[in-house]
Amino acid sequence: MVFAKRSTKDLIIGKTPFFAVLAGLTLLPLLGVGGYWLDVLTKVNLFLLVTLAIDLYSGTTYYLNLGVSFTFGFAGYALALLNIYYGIPIEYSIFLAVPISVFFSLVILLPSLRIRGVYFAILSLLIPIVFIGIVTAQPFSLYLGGEGGLRYKQLFLDFARSLPPGIRLTFLQYSYYYISLVAAVIGYLIAYKIGFSEFGFMLRAVGQDEELAESVGINTLKVKVIGYLISSMYVSVAGALYASMRSPVTVDLVVPANTLVPPLTSAIVGGLGTIIGPAIANYMLLLTYESLWGLIGRWRVIVYMLLLITIVVIKPQGLVFRIYLDLKKRLRGVLLE
Amino acid sequence: MSEILKCEEITKRFGGLTALNKVSFNVVKGEIFGIIGPNGSGKTTLLNVITGLLKPDGGRIMLDGTDITKLEPHKRVKLGIARMFQGMRVFPYLPVYLNVELVARAVYNNARLARAKTSWALTMSGLLPEAAELPIKLTPYKLRMLEFARILVSNPKIALLDEPFAGLESSEAESMIDLIKKFNSLGITFIIIEHRLRYLMKIANRVMVLNQGVKIAEGKPEEVVKNPQVIEVYFGGETRK
Repeated sequence: MVFAKRSTKDLIIGKTPFFAVLAGLTLLPLLGVGGYWLDVLTKVNLFLLVTLAIDLYSGTTYYLNLGVSFTFGFAGYALALLNIYYGIPIEYSIFLAVPISVFFSLVILLPSLRIRGVYFAILSLLIPIVFIGIVTAQPFSLYLGGEGGLRYKQLFLDFARSLPPGIRLTFLQYSYYYISLVAAVIGYLIAYKIGFSEFGFMLRAVGQDEELAESVGINTLKVKVIGYLISSMYVSVAGALYASMRSPVTVDLVVPANTLVPPLTSAIVGGLGTIIGPAIANYMLLLTYESLWGLIGRWRVIVYMLLLITIVVIKPQGLVFRIYLDLKKRLRGVLLE
Repeated sequence: MSEILKCEEITKRFGGLTALNKVSFNVVKGEIFGIIGPNGSGKTTLLNVITGLLKPDGGRIMLDGTDITKLEPHKRVKLGIARMFQGMRVFPYLPVYLNVELVARAVYNNARLARAKTSWALTMSGLLPEAAELPIKLTPYKLRMLEFARILVSNPKIALLDEPFAGLESSEAESMIDLIKKFNSLGITFIIIEHRLRYLMKIANRVMVLNQGVKIAEGKPEEVVKNPQVIEVYFGGETRK
């Protein structure tokens, strides 16, 4: 036995923050949070999946996949195309769009998994840029909607129309929020399980010394491909759900500044490879960014970016996870006294 | 005794430089085979070719009768090749036990067996008390032991050690010799590259000498050190005169 078993008290203390946050997020709409902020929280919940995807793959293997926004947007476009051209209801399109998006992400990026470092990052960043070019150029723009995007009936819209006008929007907001919350919670629990499983440690071994990992018997290519598949699946689920809740789908979903930079920043500031840190940072950073709008308006972009740069310069190895560990230690001290 | 490893005319070029030029040798089951030579003679390149990290430009490698020349490195581990790197390479941010257990999981499909083998390897290498530590907290000797545990856990037919005595004090080097002898007697064949010849000559059954990618001598240690070509390479022409 290498490690001693954790006591019941330790387990309770370990799970308390998770259940406290979960209870908070579940009760928020019932406590009166609605409208704009419920929309923001829905987006933040879905972005958690993207943050976790980045942390699970790039945070462990150090293969910086900047093509995440392509996968996110591609899932959205796949959902829209299935609905518009094949008449598949949005509810079912979500389930079909995910494997399609994962498949295309894998086919496009698979050849580049043999290269690493900055070359992999640059190559992966080119993919969303090329995709934006394709969507907006003729003849593809005729089918893909060009810059105006593709319009379709978003999730539950028909049902909402059968409701009294006063509660239609509220119904849609609440249902979207809880769907995103369920997806976020399931995504987090699975990511945590994977991140600290034997496979998760193999991903970390690849990141720490790929040549050594291969030399001691780890099939590094297989580990990278499976890791990438899992990561793509997370992003595809997020992209498909996001698009299902917001029509039209446009190239905005593929623009890295919109769907890559926020989760990537959360993963870095949270502490790469720690799962918990990036998850907390996802909520902290994105909600801070939205809050700044009310305080300083358009200046928020500059203030927010300066804040992020400062954090990354001071604590390049991540800040949130360390604070989390410190707080947990204090909580443990208080509860065990 | 039968051959466990057979290298036939191994050639490796890096651009215009020929790092290995038709190097051939056999290693017999159960022996300790030493490889010596000055810096840049191709010793580590040869280990990289045997383990599959480098693809040879010519030649063939047979492990226990199986041609492994084109096999990927991780598959060679499963067939029984294990390696200790020059300069102590471990996964720095994984605890000691995981450094070993990941190897076990890669080799064995059974999680319980892998855990049992990990405990055994850590015990044999004296690392059980440090199992939960990060390698950064280990001394150079303990780091070498960690690499040794990694070798043991894969249950290899042949272990390739690249300068196992480098950075060790003499008492630690002696312990390493005892460990190598012990596992050699239990059936593991060793190929050892070493600059500190006094240690290697104590344990090697046979020694091969490389110079500028070419094999210049092979035989028993006491014969090899008397070889004029080896003396020339190691001490230079003027010293010999």
